[in-house]
Amino acid sequence: MFKQWWLQYKLKRLIKNSKLAALKAHYQYLLTHLHQPISDIKLLALDIEMTGLNHKKDQMVSIGVIPIINAEIQPQFAQYKLMKIEGSVGQSAVIHGILDKDLANALPLEEVLQWLFEQCKDKVLVAHHAQLDLQFLRQSLSSSGAHSFALLGIDTLIIEKEREQRKHPVLKTGSLRLNACRERYNLPIYNAHNALTDALACAELLLAQLNKMGGLDNITLVQLLTKR
Amino acid sequence: MDNSELQPIIDFMRKLAPFDSLPEQGIKQCCQALTIAYYSKQQKLVPVDSNAPQLYIVRSGAFEVTTEQGDLIDRVGEGQYFGFSGLLSGEKVVNQIHILEDGLVYHLPAKMFDELRANSQSFDRFFNQAFAKRLRNQGTLQHDNISTARITHIMSRDLTTITADASIHQAALLMSKKRLSSLVVVDQEKLCGILTDRDLRNRVLAKGLNGDLLVGQIMTKDPVIIEPNVLMFEAMLKMSENNIHHLPVVHVGRPVGIITSTDLIRSQSSQPLLLIGQIERQNSLEALIKVSQKIPDLLHNLISSDAKAIEIGRILTSVTDSLTRRLIVLKQEQLGPAPMGFCWLAFGSQGRQDQMAGSDQDNALILERDTTAAEKDYFKQLSESVCSALNECGFPFCPGNIMAQNPQWQLTLQQWQQQFSSWVKTPQPSALLNATIFFDMRGIFGDLTLLNTLQSSVLKNTKGNDIFIAALSKNALQSTPPLGFFRSFVIERDGSEVKGIDLKHKGNALINDIVRIYALAAGINEVNTTKRLESLMAKSKIDKDIAMSLLDAWEFIAHKRLINQGQQFNNNEPVSNYILPDSLSSLVRHQLKDAFKVIHEAQGTVRLKFLRQF
Amino acid sequence: MDVQTLTYTIVGMTFALYIVIAIWSRAGSTKEFYVAGGGVHPIVNGMATAADWMSAASFISLAGIVSFVGYDGSVYIMGWTGGYVLLALLMAPYLRKFGKFTVPDFVGDRYYSQTARTVAVICALVVSFTYIAGQMRGTGVVFSRFLEVDIDTGVYIGMAVVFFYSVLGGMKGITYTQVAQYCVMIFAFMVPAIFLSIMMTGHFFPQIGFGSELLDASGNNSGVYLLDKLDGLSTQLGFAEYTVGTKDTIDVFFICGALMFGTAGLPHVIVRFFTVPRVKDARTSAGWTLVFIAILYTTIPALAAFSRVNMIETINGADGQGVSHAEAPSWINSWERTGLIAWDDKNGDGKMFYAKGETNEMTIDRDIIVLATPEIANLPAWVIALIAAGGLAAALSTSAGLLLVISTSVSHDLLKKNMMPDISDKRELMYARMAAGVGVLIAGYFGINPPGFVAAVVAIAFGLAASSLFPAITMGIFSKKMNKEGAISGMAAGLLFSIGYIVYFKFLNPAINTAEHWLFGISPEGIGLLGMCLNFVVAILVCRMTAPVPQDVQEMVEAIRFPKGSGEASDH
Repeated sequence: MFKQWWLQYKLKRLIKNSKLAALKAHYQYLLTHLHQPISDIKLLALDIEMTGLNHKKDQMVSIGVIPIINAEIQPQFAQYKLMKIEGSVGQSAVIHGILDKDLANALPLEEVLQWLFEQCKDKVLVAHHAQLDLQFLRQSLSSSGAHSFALLGIDTLIIEKEREQRKHPVLKTGSLRLNACRERYNLPIYNAHNALTDALACAELLLAQLNKMGGLDNITLVQLLTKR
Repeated sequence: MDNSELQPIIDFMRKLAPFDSLPEQGIKQCCQALTIAYYSKQQKLVPVDSNAPQLYIVRSGAFEVTTEQGDLIDRVGEGQYFGFSGLLSGEKVVNQIHILEDGLVYHLPAKMFDELRANSQSFDRFFNQAFAKRLRNQGTLQHDNISTARITHIMSRDLTTITADASIHQAALLMSKKRLSSLVVVDQEKLCGILTDRDLRNRVLAKGLNGDLLVGQIMTKDPVIIEPNVLMFEAMLKMSENNIHHLPVVHVGRPVGIITSTDLIRSQSSQPLLLIGQIERQNSLEALIKVSQKIPDLLHNLISSDAKAIEIGRILTSVTDSLTRRLIVLKQEQLGPAPMGFCWLAFGSQGRQDQMAGSDQDNALILERDTTAAEKDYFKQLSESVCSALNECGFPFCPGNIMAQNPQWQLTLQQWQQQFSSWVKTPQPSALLNATIFFDMRGIFGDLTLLNTLQSSVLKNTKGNDIFIAALSKNALQSTPPLGFFRSFVIERDGSEVKGIDLKHKGNALINDIVRIYALAAGINEVNTTKRLESLMAKSKIDKDIAMSLLDAWEFIAHKRLINQGQQFNNNEPVSNYILPDSLSSLVRHQLKDAFKVIHEAQGTVRLKFLRQF
Repeated sequence: MDVQTLTYTIVGMTFALYIVIAIWSRAGSTKEFYVAGGGVHPIVNGMATAADWMSAASFISLAGIVSFVGYDGSVYIMGWTGGYVLLALLMAPYLRKFGKFTVPDFVGDRYYSQTARTVAVICALVVSFTYIAGQMRGTGVVFSRFLEVDIDTGVYIGMAVVFFYSVLGGMKGITYTQVAQYCVMIFAFMVPAIFLSIMMTGHFFPQIGFGSELLDASGNNSGVYLLDKLDGLSTQLGFAEYTVGTKDTIDVFFICGALMFGTAGLPHVIVRFFTVPRVKDARTSAGWTLVFIAILYTTIPALAAFSRVNMIETINGADGQGVSHAEAPSWINSWERTGLIAWDDKNGDGKMFYAKGETNEMTIDRDIIVLATPEIANLPAWVIALIAAGGLAAALSTSAGLLLVISTSVSHDLLKKNMMPDISDKRELMYARMAAGVGVLIAGYFGINPPGFVAAVVAIAFGLAASSLFPAITMGIFSKKMNKEGAISGMAAGLLFSIGYIVYFKFLNPAINTAEHWLFGISPEGIGLLGMCLNFVVAILVCRMTAPVPQDVQEMVEAIRFPKGSGEASDH
C-alpha cells in the first residue's frame, strides 16, 4: 500500500521534472501500468558489460537488450550495442571478451543512451542485479549533461533473494549469481559472458520466477518494481 | 558476426535434429522467429491456443502429451517436440500437454514451420515420421476393452438349428456342410438342447453307435445358456467354470445366437479374465496372494479405459468371487468334503456386486442343519482359513466382524430365518444399522438352494411390512447428501484437516439404502442396486423418473469416486472416498450437486411413502 | 420487564430450545448415538408420548371446564385416562404385530377391501380435523391474550405458526424435542399450581392442597376446607354445588365411554406405538407415559378449584358485593381486549358481579382459566409467560402430528391409492403439502367458530373415533369371522349416526340442546358410545348375511393374536 503510493508520487514527480521526452514516456508507461498484470506489460531485459564495478569511475562497454512481450521472450527484437570508451578496457576484457579493437566502430555513449531510452519508452526494464546496471545508466545520464534521474526496474536478483530467504534465512555466497539462480529453475547454463546472452538469461530467469510465484497473470508491476 | 545473435539459442538449435540439417542461415532465421516461454508444474497444463498452432521445442523440462480423456500419447523431454500433430494434420489441437517438470520451451510459429518443410525435405520427413509414430503409439496405447464389451457384438447371429427328432446322421451332414462345431436343438422355437462335435465323438463314435440315433438322445439337454447383453468376460467366465466351449445365447427362452470359446479368443484376451483364469490355476495360498496383488492394477486399467462404474464393480466382484471360491476349494482339498450342505454367502458390496478399491470382506455361512462338535470344527477351520487368506489377498477383515469365521454368523438355515425375522419384527435402530448389509446377500459357493430359501422367506417377511419398512427408512434418512441450505457442498472436516465430500457414504451408500427399502417393501429378490431399480420399474413399484435419476446419479457419483481414486493412486496418495470440490471443474461440481439433489428428493419420497412424513 | 416482553422472551427461548435440540439430535452421528445410549430409554419415550398426548385441550381447557362445571368436568379426566390404558395395553401390541403403519392400512388389509380402507381414511380424517380444530382454538387463545389481539386474529396467527411448524419445521417427531416440550409444559402447569397451593393452603403439593383447609390472612389454618368454601360460594351465587354433578349418570357414562373408546381410534397416538422397536418397550413406555400424564391430570382439579375461588373473590370482592370496574385488576382489562371476558353493567352500579342468573354481569370464556390464573393470583410475570410457552408447546406438538396424518392420508390413501393412481411421487408430495394447508384452514375455521369449548370439541372428535374406527379395529383383531361388508357398513352407520346427532344439536338446533330433547338423555359429547354400539350391531348383522372371511385372512388374524414367531420369541 505504502509502496504503491510512494511509487505513484515518485513517478509523477519524475514525469514532471524529466526533460528527455523518451524518459518521460517511460515513466508515464510505468505509472499507467503499475497495477497491470505482468503478462500485459512489455518488458525489456538488459545487461551491460563494464570495465569495472564502480559506476563513478568505470565505463560501460556493451549493452544487450531483449524484450518480453505477451509473456514470451522475443529473440527477433534482441539488440546488442558496443560503446566507445575513454581509454582501454584493460583487465575487464577477460570477463566480457571485448577487446579495444572491437570498439573501433562502437557508437558514442550519448547515441547509445538515446537509442536505449527510445527502446524503453513503452517497456519496463529488467536486469539481474539491476542496481549496478541502473546506477551506470544514471551516472552516464548526468555526465552527458542531462539531469540525474532515478531509474526504476525489475531486479531478478532481488526477487530471487526474497524467494530464497523465505526458504533459508542465511544465503550462501554466490547463490544469487545468475547461473546459480537459473539452475534452481531447471534452466540451461550459458557460458559465454556476453551482454545479450546475459540479457536473455535474465529474461528467462524472470519468466521462470514469475511462473513459480503464481503466474504472470497474477502478479502486478507494482509488486516487482524496485528503485535505483 | 551480427552482434544481436543469440548464441545460446543458435548453439542449441544447431545440434538439434532435424534443424541440424538446415543451412546456417536457416537456423539463424529460426532463432529469430521463435519466442521463448517458461512453464512450471503449478500450471499443470501448457496453455495451447488451438487457433494458432505452433511447434513447441523443449529446451529444458519434461512434458506429457495425452488425449482429452487423459490417455497417454507421448512423453517429451529436452530437444524433443510437441504440437506438430496439429500443424501437420491441420486439425484443431485436442491433445493436452501436462507439465511434468518445469522448463523452457521455444515456440516456432506455424509460418516458419511450413516454410522450413517446404524448403527442406529432410525436415519435412522428420516430422511426418514422428507424426506417424505417434499415431501408431496411440493405437497400441488404446485399451483393449473386451472386459466391458458385450457378447452381442461377437456372437454368431445366423443360428443353425435342428429339431430333436432328426437323426444324428442328418445333424452331422448339416454340421459338415456348414462347417459348424455345434448345432442348437429347438422344439417349437424354444431351446431344448445343444449338440456339439464333441458329443458326436464321445457319445456316438466312441461307443460304436450308428447314425440312426435321434439328436434328442445324445444332445446335451438344458445346456448352460447365457443372455444377450451380458459382458463378454462373463461369458468367458461361464465357459471356464463349466468347462464348455459353446454357449447358446437365449433371450426369453428363444435362442438368438451362439457364442464359442473361439469367438472369445478371437476377440483377444482380457485382463480380468486372465486374472480369473490365473486365480483358478493357482494351487497355493502364496500364489493366490501374489496373483491378487494384480487387482489394483486391474482396477486402475479399468478406470483408465473409461469403463462404466457399474461394470467395474461387477468385474471386480467377479474376481473376488472366484478368489473366494478358489480358496474354499483349496482348503477343502485339505480338509476333505464338507460333512453337510452349506452355502458361503457374501454381503454388502460383494453381495451387491459393486465392489471398489479397498472393500473389506463381509461373508457368512448357511449350514444345512445343526452341527456336531466335529462338524463345527470343520467349518471353523474352513472359514478361518478362507477369511484370513482373503485378508492377506487384500480384502481386510470386516471391522464389524461380519465374517464366516465368526461363529455368530455360521448359522443353520432355520437360525438365519429366525435372525432375519427378529430384525424384521423388532426393528431396533441400533441392530438395523448394522443389519442392513445382510439384506444384500448373494451365494458365492455351495448349495445355492439354501440361500434361495432364506432369501424368499426374508422377502416374505419384509414385503408389505410397513412398520419394518418405516424403521428401515428412518434409519436410512439419518444420513443426508452433503448439500447445504443454499445448494452449497458441505465439506467434512477432521479437526482442522479438510477431508472433502465422502462420495461413498454420502453418495452411493445413500442410493443403495433408498433402493434397498423399495426392494424389500416390494419383495424383490435382486440385490444389485441397478438390477433392483430395473426390477422395481418393471413392476411399477417406483416412480420411473426417480428410478432413472437414481440410476444416473449412482453411476455419476461412483464414476467420480473411481476417477478420484485413480488419481490418488497415481499420485501415490492414500486411496479414499473423499473428493475436494475445489479440485473439480465447475461443470462437474454442478453435475455433482444435481446428483446429490436427486438423492435428496428420493429421500423425501421415501419419507413421504414409508414414514408418512414430509 | 412487563408481561408481554417476558412472554416474547420465554416463548422465544423455548422455541430456540426445541430447534437447538432438533439440530443437535440430527447432527450427531446416529451410529455413535445408538452405540452410546443403546436406544431411547422407555422413560424418555414415555415423556415424548406424553407430550404427544397432552394437547392444548388437556393443558388449556380441561382445568377450565372442571373449574366452571365442577364435578361434571371430571368425566374428561376419567375418559381420557381410561382410553389411554385401553389403547396402550390392549390394542397397540396387536396392531403392531400386523405390521401396518396406519389404522386405514390395517383396516384395508384386514378387511381385504379398498372400500374399507377408504371408509377408514374418511373416519380418520373427520376425527383428526375435529381434534385439530380444538388445538387451533387453544393456540388462538394463547396468542390473543399475549399479543393483545382479539381471539380471531389469535387463531389466524396460530394457524400460521402450526402450518410452518408442521410443514417446514424439521423438528416434529423428534423424541428429544418432545421431551423438552413435555418439560416446558409440565413446568408451566405445575409452577402456578404449586404457588397457589402454598398461598392458599400452605401445602406444597397441589394435590394435597386440594383437600386441605384454607389459610386465613395471617397464615393460620382457617378451619374451612377449600372444597367446602367452593361449594358455599357456588350455591350462594346460584351455581350448582361444585362437588356434586348435575349431569345424568347415563350421560356421564356415555361421555366417559366415548372418550375412552375414541382414544383407541385416534390415529396420531397409535403411530407412537409403531415407532418403538419392540412391543415390550412400547408397553413399558406406555406405563411411563401414564405416570407423566397423571402428574398433569391430578393437578387439574386442584388448579381448577384454586382459580375458581380466586376468580370469584377477585370479581365479587371479599364482601361478595362486587368490585368497581374502574378498580378492576389489570387481567380483566387485558382479557376484555381479546373478547374472552365481557362485562355488562346491568344494574349500572359500576361494579362487576359474577353469579348465575339475572344478576350476573360477567361473561367469561372457560378456556382462559389456566392462562389467567397466574394473573388472578398476582403471581410473578415470568409465571404468566411460562404458561404461554406451555400452552403453545401443547398445541404445537399435537397439531403437527395430526396435520401430518391428515395430509399424508389425503395424498397417499385418498389420492394415490384411490382417485389418481398415476400421479408421480413429486406431485404426491405437493398434494400432501397442499392438504396440510387446507387442513389448517378448515381447522382454523372451526377454531374461530367453535361448536363448543375446546375440550368439548375434542370430546366430539373422540366420539366420532369411538363410533367409527374402534369397532372396526377391535373386531379386526379379536374376531376372525368379521368380514369386509360388516365392517364397512358398521363404520358407515356409526359415523353417520354420530355426526348426524352432533350436527343436529350443535349446529342446526343449538336451542334445543338440552337433556330433555336428547336421545336417552345422552348429550352430543357422549353420543359416540351409542354410535359405537350401533356400529357393532350393524356390523354383526351384516356380517351374518354376507360371505365369510377368506381363509388366509382368518389365519392372519389367528397369527396376530397368538404370539407365535413374534418378535420377542426369537429376540436374542
